Amino acid sequence: MDRSIRRLFVFFVLIFVGLVVQLTYVQVWAAPRLNTNAYNTRGVEQQMRVERGLILAADGSQLATNTKDGVYFLRQYPQGSLTSPWLGYSSLRYGRAGVELAYNPELSGDSDLLGVRNFLDLVTGRPTRGADLRLTLDPNVQRTAVEALGDNVGAVMALDPRTGAVLAWAVSPRFDPNKIDEEWKQLNGDPGKPLVDRALQGRYPPGSVFKVIVAAAALEKGVVTPQTTFDDSPGGWLAGGYRVNNFGDKSFGEHTFAEAFANSVNTTFAKVGVQLGAEELNTYAHAFGFGQQLPWRLGGSGGSFPDPAGMDKANVAQVSFGQGAVLVTPMQMALVAAGVANGGQIMRPYVVSEVRDYNQQVLEKTKPTVWLRPITPATAATLRDLMVKVVQEGTGTRAAIEGVKVAGKTGTAEIGGGVAHSWFVGFAPADAPSVAVAVVVEKGTAASASIARDVMAAALGL
Amino acid sequence: MSTRNKELLLLFPAILLTTIGFATVYIRRSEDIGWVSLSYGAIFLGLFGLVHVARRLLVPRADPYLLPITALLSTLGILMIYRLKPELALQQAVWLVVGLVTFVGVLVGARHYRRLVQYKYIVGLAGLALLLFTILFAREIGGARLWVRFGGVGFQPPEFAKLLLVIFFAAYLCDMRELLAVSTHRVLGLALPPFRYLAPLLTIWGLSLAMMIFMKDLGTSLLFFAALLAVMYVATDRLFYVVAGMGLFSGGAYVLYQIFPHVQTRVDVWLDPWADPTGKGYQILQSLFALAAGGLFGRGLGNGYLLLQSGATIIPALETDFIFSAIGEELGLAGSAAIVLLYLIFVFRGLRIALRSRDQFSRLLATGLTTVFGLQAFLIMGGVTKLIPLTGITLPFVSYGGSSIVANFALLALLLLVSDASTRDEVDVPETAGSPAAGARGGTT
Repeated sequence: MDRSIRRLFVFFVLIFVGLVVQLTYVQVWAAPRLNTNAYNTRGVEQQMRVERGLILAADGSQLATNTKDGVYFLRQYPQGSLTSPWLGYSSLRYGRAGVELAYNPELSGDSDLLGVRNFLDLVTGRPTRGADLRLTLDPNVQRTAVEALGDNVGAVMALDPRTGAVLAWAVSPRFDPNKIDEEWKQLNGDPGKPLVDRALQGRYPPGSVFKVIVAAAALEKGVVTPQTTFDDSPGGWLAGGYRVNNFGDKSFGEHTFAEAFANSVNTTFAKVGVQLGAEELNTYAHAFGFGQQLPWRLGGSGGSFPDPAGMDKANVAQVSFGQGAVLVTPMQMALVAAGVANGGQIMRPYVVSEVRDYNQQVLEKTKPTVWLRPITPATAATLRDLMVKVVQEGTGTRAAIEGVKVAGKTGTAEIGGGVAHSWFVGFAPADAPSVAVAVVVEKGTAASASIARDVMAAALGL
Repeated sequence: MSTRNKELLLLFPAILLTTIGFATVYIRRSEDIGWVSLSYGAIFLGLFGLVHVARRLLVPRADPYLLPITALLSTLGILMIYRLKPELALQQAVWLVVGLVTFVGVLVGARHYRRLVQYKYIVGLAGLALLLFTILFAREIGGARLWVRFGGVGFQPPEFAKLLLVIFFAAYLCDMRELLAVSTHRVLGLALPPFRYLAPLLTIWGLSLAMMIFMKDLGTSLLFFAALLAVMYVATDRLFYVVAGMGLFSGGAYVLYQIFPHVQTRVDVWLDPWADPTGKGYQILQSLFALAAGGLFGRGLGNGYLLLQSGATIIPALETDFIFSAIGEELGLAGSAAIVLLYLIFVFRGLRIALRSRDQFSRLLATGLTTVFGLQAFLIMGGVTKLIPLTGITLPFVSYGGSSIVANFALLALLLLVSDASTRDEVDVPETAGSPAAGARGGTT
């Protein structure tokens, strides 16, 4: 009997040891795997308990806030769709996008910036709260951009060329980040692709706005001056078996390079481009940021220029007026305009001007820095004058603002089937620019120039 | 140090844990719950203090470790329930008081516990009646028919049937052990005792299977059967009964597995919970996620992600069957392994009482009570950690549930009575093997 009781105890020791082994397996050995399992919603639970930092506009108005529901915080976007795609969204089911994604470490309080603060929270027992972000978003400019876009499909990007601060970042169609969970399926299936950020991710043929880069290269290389004359005879210009025609098959006769820029003469730019050669065009495109990742956390590429080695004369001619294999994003073109406006220096773009903790102590302040120097100040000045002429007497007169000297360049990017995207890039005031814009309207007419005018006027406080 | 003072000393960790734990949860959830939390420590100090005094008077020589272990487990249980569902904690506290009163009641009322041998059939039939009652009147909650509503109070008869049947097993086998140990004929080369002595074994086997069918409860039926086997094994010292019993149970369970979908589901989910991670496998996977989230040292009391936005627990039945997962998340492997160790110490002390007892009935009773207690803890802890298929039973003293608390305090009282009697026997009483007269000495004199 004693023996059997002892054996019974041994049995219990064995099964309880088995239990501890299993516990060790689950809680330690397999834990990393289980913690990251797709069916494990605990990460979501954890995130919901964190009071995310507020996101504020440049004027201090609240763009992203929280409401408390029990132990959870629910994200609210008081401005609704107005601020997409800036904020993106923060969904527990569908992840994050925009600033919510790019600045998640700060917003959720995981950033090293908050290291000391979190430690203090631990000591004082205060709940961890994320850091607040102050954006460069100017609500007035943003609202103008959204309203001016209206029902057009397209994007508007407005920057302060002196600093690189983004003032307006608008796309259409938009989504309401408050309803991302309910409307996800519908938004995802929408043929208008409202979840795609056209301003950063939309890759468009630039059409004639690419002439800014061709002109910059030609002026900088001394291939042309504004006074260089060209002859545009009827019937276009034949480049390697490819016939270049002007918009509307117009013929301009004898004209200067400045007039070619103002009137967007394709044949002349094809000639200049061919004269420069594919290598030189590629060099300047790259100098303006093509093929580079944008120097910020929000992603988006700078645009793409085809491999010069694979280009024949016809390709070069085509690319020179922005058709063919060259593709750009509205953000890229806004940076090009900003670079010309800022004397040939492209400032590093940014959207967050300040990171503050909940005591409103500034943890990080963005200092404007130069990103690229594609052209000299002299070339930039010459180019600016050419662009002023576009708005004063060329294709871009709709962008003119009374009492302000506006510089710009229009573009019509043909996408086949007689359909084209309408472009405008520009800046104002031309002599001391404080806003640079890029506007694209898909399958639009001349709407982009007037949208750009409204946005620039709003940025100038007019 | 005397055993009595040792117990008093050992009670302090439980009180300390309660006070610190409730304070922690209070701080974490101060927006949801009130200051009442801080008085819990004081209340338990008073309660267990009183029970300790009662024990000193009634069973002064009983094992000093069991009550502090119980105190630790039950206060930890209340703490977790308070942390999960504050509104249930008060109910559980009331049940704890009822449990402690029952504990003292059993110490007084059953001090001549050896007389139970004479009433073994009544006790056994009462146990069966409780089970039958459950089968007939229970409503299905959480996939198992264990609950009977009685004047507005939910009641789980199997928790009490468990006690009665263990007493019956011990008493019956105490009488029959010699007969069962002797084999009279051979079947298929196996030496078997006369069939009529095997009848109770077969009855319990049938009953266990019936419970599996009617109550849809794998855990309780396994528990009964295993308790019987343990007592039989100790009574006869023959491993044959264990092997034969396990064969019988496995055979029956296999047949049921083939026939009944709910048994199949339990086993299939155990084998591969990932096959239906948001449906049938949800509970066990969430349990594993909770344990994994706890890691080595846990997230801290009140810090686990156990509550959903709606206030519901992330795992259904978290405060009852899955409370061990909640502890594992908030206190980590350190906490969960400590709980396992506490149960093992309980089992060790319980079997030590059995070893020290001089009369057969006491030995078998202590063995049966300890086995049923330890095995229940193992079944649910093994279930929620996916070591074994999950069975819906409570973690003794920790889980939310009045019946479980009260029944287990009655079990503890019986164990302490046996313990006290065994030390008295050692000192001044010659062995009287199951004689009711011997028990009469274990009073309050």
